[in-house]
Amino acid sequence: MNSLCKLLTACLVAAPFVFVGCGTSPAPEAASGPSAEGQAFVLDAEPAAAKGVKDARADAKDGDEVTVVGRIGGDTNPWIEGQAAFLVVDNALKPCNEREDDACESPWDYCCDADALPTHKAMVKIVDSEGKTVATDARKLLGLKELQTVVVHGKAKRDEAGNLTVLADGIYVRK
Amino acid sequence: MLRIRLLPWEYGVRNLFRRPARSGLTLLALTTVVLLVLVVVAFIRGLEGSLATSGDPQVVLVYSIGAAADIENSAIPARTAALLSASLDGVEQRYGVSHVAPELYIGTKVQTSEEAPGMFGIVRGVTSATPLLRRQVQMLDGEWPGPGEVLVGKLTAAKLGCDPSLLRIGQSIRFDNRNWKISGHFTAGGAAFESEIWAPLEDLQSALKRQDISLVAVGLSNGASPADVEMFCKERVDLELQAVGEAAYYAALQKHYQPVRMLGWIVVLLVAGAGVFAGLNTMYGAVVGRVRELSTLQAVGFRRRSIVISLIQEATLLSMTASLIAAAIALFLVNGTAVRFTMGAFALRVDSLAILVGCGTGLLLGVLGAIPPAMKAMRYEIVEGLKAI
Repeated sequence: MNSLCKLLTACLVAAPFVFVGCGTSPAPEAASGPSAEGQAFVLDAEPAAAKGVKDARADAKDGDEVTVVGRIGGDTNPWIEGQAAFLVVDNALKPCNEREDDACESPWDYCCDADALPTHKAMVKIVDSEGKTVATDARKLLGLKELQTVVVHGKAKRDEAGNLTVLADGIYVRK
Repeated sequence: MLRIRLLPWEYGVRNLFRRPARSGLTLLALTTVVLLVLVVVAFIRGLEGSLATSGDPQVVLVYSIGAAADIENSAIPARTAALLSASLDGVEQRYGVSHVAPELYIGTKVQTSEEAPGMFGIVRGVTSATPLLRRQVQMLDGEWPGPGEVLVGKLTAAKLGCDPSLLRIGQSIRFDNRNWKISGHFTAGGAAFESEIWAPLEDLQSALKRQDISLVAVGLSNGASPADVEMFCKERVDLELQAVGEAAYYAALQKHYQPVRMLGWIVVLLVAGAGVFAGLNTMYGAVVGRVRELSTLQAVGFRRRSIVISLIQEATLLSMTASLIAAAIALFLVNGTAVRFTMGAFALRVDSLAILVGCGTGLLLGVLGAIPPAMKAMRYEIVEGLKAI
């Protein structure tokens, strides 16, 4: 009888622990650096004469060689899933976490500057030698994360509405 | 060494009928507990199922960047649909028709007659392209709405809290200061659309005095990815659009309702816990009155563990009978019942998981409800037990 009681008690105590192992697996950690494929796009030194995003939007024409500096952000999700493409924002705008008393969970969306944002952001696409966007997430390819300052070199692509896309062949990440 | 002589199976069964009133009341209590568990789990499963069925992985929703996850707050230019159709390569096309559907999505007061009070309903302005993207939608009866007409979903009556007879074909409903004649009904396989009222887009825009729309649903061809649409929206900063895969949109809504689902599971645990205590109370009463009988069984030669197993058998028989009755009631009376919820309505789903949880709860009630009183009864020495009153 005593051994039966002990066995039943042990089962009841152990039962909840069966469920401890259940649940979602932890999210994978962001890459700490560029992948082997991404190394081909990383520049060793910062290119000279980099323009801010706002100035580049004002000056660059379709097809021009440009060097643009900006911070990764401009949307709650500035990345394009499965593509080496992301948004950058002019350094003139401050992200929410650099303002006093702002505990925004996604400071890279620049929600505090929503009015100014459209004229201060641009898309960056990392393209290969054939001009196609690399089909690897930029975070994995280049080890990037939100609010990093990057200097990208490439060709400007403009559309009729004045939007700027940089078809980048090289990127430098400011420390 | 491991063989133990158990009491006959019939012994436990006969004991249940020796006190029919007590056994009957316990059966009723356990049936109520298991039925409550089934209803709560059916609620959770219905809510999950409604959101899971609503999302098509090949459809992307494009709406205003400022609306966050609330499409009702979105307003984009009506030309967006044509722009997307012309600019995107991966849009599905059949017989020259692009699978791009502009829609206007509003929540408004709906009256079933001029005198009736207004109830909150969901109205979606649609075009003939909409069924190409909402593939779950099937017409039940009637016709596609023409000017001044609406199509009503299967669960719209539950959403509006009105009698379904008020939403028959030919009847009129009123919203936004206009009367709309019901032209037909549709079902959507349990998706969130089933509680909506669909009106022709241009008619609805005219009634609301609006030129804009809420969203554009884009159907992707095989090989195309939602990332392509997302890329277009992010490149075209001037349009201030955002793109979300429809499946991802409803998955985010599921997360939004996570606290409700967690609360539901907590209620299940509390109800089951209450059932265990009720079962314990009953079994204590049953066992206390049988101490002499149980001691006699020990004197005759049965081991304590055999008697405990017999007591657990009695309780489990009762609880599993209660589970079967509760499952039958749930399947025939509860399953499919419409429930009004914040932004729509859904049907309670008594599916295999609900039955598993319900019957599992019943089994647990039987086992846990019998063990403590059985162990208490076994503490008496045989001589003391025989002398008990």
